[in-house]
Amino acid sequence: MLEELGASLTPTPIVESAVTSRTLERYAPDAVKSELLPQIAVGHVLITPALLEREASWDATSARVAATRTDSGFLITGEKRFVSFADLATHALTLVRTGDDEPTLLVVPIWKARGVDQISLDHVSGVPVSSLSLSEVEVPLSCVVATGARAIEATRELITAGAVSRAVQLAGLGRVVVESTVEYTSNREQFGQPVGSFQAVQHHIAEMAIAAKQVNHLAHSAAWSFSRNGYSIARAAQAKIAANEKIPSLCWTAHQCHGAVGFTQEHDLHLYTWRALAWKMDYGDSAFHKATLAGAMGL
Amino acid sequence: MRFEFTAEEIEFRRQVSAFLDEVLPDDWGGPAGLSDDQEWKLNQRLRKELVKRGWLVMSWPTEYGGADSSPMMNTIFAEEMAYRRAPGLDGFGTRMLGPTLMRFGNDEQRARHLGAIACGEVQWCQGYSEPNSGSDLASIQTRAVLVGDEFVINGAKIWTSLGHRADMMFMLVRTNPDAPRHAGISLLLVDMKSPGIEVRPIVNMANVHHFNQVTFDDVRVPKANLVGDLNDGWRVGMTVLNHERSGIEFAAGARAVLEELVKYLKKDDSPVSTAKSDPNVRLRLAELSTEIEAARLMCYDVTWRHGQGQEPSSEASMSKVTGTEIYQKTLDYGLEILGMYGGLEAGSPQSELQGRLLKLRMLSTATTIFSGTNEIQKNIIAQRGLGLPRARTR
Ligand SMILES: Cc1cc2nc3c(=O)[nH]c(=O)nc-3n(C[C@H](O)[C@H](O)[C@H](O)COP(=O)(O)OP(=O)(O)OC[C@H]3O[C@@H](n4cnc5c(N)ncnc54)[C@H](O)[C@@H]3O)c2cc1C
Repeated sequence: MLEELGASLTPTPIVESAVTSRTLERYAPDAVKSELLPQIAVGHVLITPALLEREASWDATSARVAATRTDSGFLITGEKRFVSFADLATHALTLVRTGDDEPTLLVVPIWKARGVDQISLDHVSGVPVSSLSLSEVEVPLSCVVATGARAIEATRELITAGAVSRAVQLAGLGRVVVESTVEYTSNREQFGQPVGSFQAVQHHIAEMAIAAKQVNHLAHSAAWSFSRNGYSIARAAQAKIAANEKIPSLCWTAHQCHGAVGFTQEHDLHLYTWRALAWKMDYGDSAFHKATLAGAMGL
Repeated sequence: MRFEFTAEEIEFRRQVSAFLDEVLPDDWGGPAGLSDDQEWKLNQRLRKELVKRGWLVMSWPTEYGGADSSPMMNTIFAEEMAYRRAPGLDGFGTRMLGPTLMRFGNDEQRARHLGAIACGEVQWCQGYSEPNSGSDLASIQTRAVLVGDEFVINGAKIWTSLGHRADMMFMLVRTNPDAPRHAGISLLLVDMKSPGIEVRPIVNMANVHHFNQVTFDDVRVPKANLVGDLNDGWRVGMTVLNHERSGIEFAAGARAVLEELVKYLKKDDSPVSTAKSDPNVRLRLAELSTEIEAARLMCYDVTWRHGQGQEPSSEASMSKVTGTEIYQKTLDYGLEILGMYGGLEAGSPQSELQGRLLKLRMLSTATTIFSGTNEIQKNIIAQRGLGLPRARTR
């Protein structure tokens, strides 16, 4: 399904919702689960991850936003950046540090909440992305999902799940771009023949097709590892690295094969390229996943 | 090739650079943050300044108001302008039509148009490509029929850069549909205000309205606007098309981005400042620097050959391919360094480097397509340059 959502560029917060729900299901106390999961299932609650701060690092240990303990819970002040669909979400799943420097993963109600300000960003993804500015936002104790090492682990797992989801979406996106480039170059004629009959163009598209296939295999292999109990960090990293490096570049080659028409907004190709660029950075760029993978290889 | 600049060249580069310091707005990083109208206004203002300095048409012979400057001086000028992303040049008038008229135009056409281009008063656009004729330009279908002492034009041109700003267009039309493809084409000069011309904007993927579709419905053009002989338009329109082009603007653009990145990484307060101590980042930047320098030297080689009176076709193609590819690669890497910030558009809150790398990357997509796609350039390198055999038609 994710592959098809990627192929159709569907602007929906499905990945955001899926990775946060999965995190709750696996890490949250029963009370949190029984309150939120049924509501998510019927669509009353949408939780979006809000993990990045100013450094925009996907390293789970980098969270610095502070939470001060009160009698009934926490007061949170700070900024979380690059939050997708924050304008639709009822809650944000966010990692903060409490007074004693303990990482804490919390569900923060953001829908019309006091002290929550949204700064909406102009983002290449074409979906709403904002920064959340939190000023003494009250969060009850009952919103805590995990603390300490478990909070870091849950966050890492969320990012990995997000990375695999994006890789699968990118695989779908890449497949469609290959198909539409085949179609365009088969029909566009220059010098009395389809431009797709020139070997220069054929080799471009053959390379694109190889790349799309590789990403597809790696992404599915990673997703497969996930659906069992646990997941493979290495396969997830490989999937996202390949998707990051191959799919946007495949889109640029598609532009080359389309000539001037692909450079316009009248043609849809640019929408795929924009989205591919956004997903390339989302849930870990290549440098991040390469470091993770090298670690998983025992280095 | 000479690997050193003369004292005169060094001094000239300094003058251009000082001039740009003076005329460009403070904090100038390029036009990415400007609206189309604002950019055009700045373009017009700078063009006037270039005229004042005698630089707009300095490559032209003195008899037409130029300074007869050497190819190397012209390349240095183009390089400095591109390096600073300065608007104001007029490629269509000064580099394409001007030299074409000097070579093929008649006295009246030269008197009428060259002076106006040299003063920066008239904007020209180029009407060559058509919806069905891109790389295969000789297949153009727009018809011009001679009726009395007027041509009557019907058809459509596309990708016409600045068509919406232009006063005049130089265009290729088919004047003899029965002749072999290259032998039935003519070059005409057309007033963009002629009845029957319609300019439809086409917005590009960087959100900029730069090119257009221009349609012609019984547009009448005086016979006197024919440049060169009837049906000789292929030769007239193509001979000086890429006259003395070195491709330096791409290498300069890449260098500007690389230096901007290095400067940016050195700032301690940028969100991604830790990247500068990452060995991978350092290696990659060093690789880019090497490739950019190679691209720059290829342009100087082309320029040097021009100075020797050669027509370096394959070398010019090599430098175009090298420059445009490294320009795109440098921007790709810049976006990677910016990470999540790379996804923010020009003008977005919280963007880094004003979001201009993203916009430049979008714009750069066109560089491997226009003035002969890179595939066509590689065909030229392989066949004309290296003498490889052509594919046999099956
Ligand atoms: C930003 C921009 C500005 C432009 N401004 C102008 C302008 O002002 N005036 C004007 O007249 N035109 C302008 N053009 C048009 C430009 O000249 C054409 O885009 C160019 O000639 C390529 O044609 P095309 O886009 O139709 O691509 P096509 O010719 O359709 O090419 C499609 C693909 O096929 C490949 N291909 C085609 N033939 C061959 C071959 N023989 N061997 C191998 N591969 C081949 C191409 O390389 C490309 O990858 C502009 C274009 C752009 C992008």
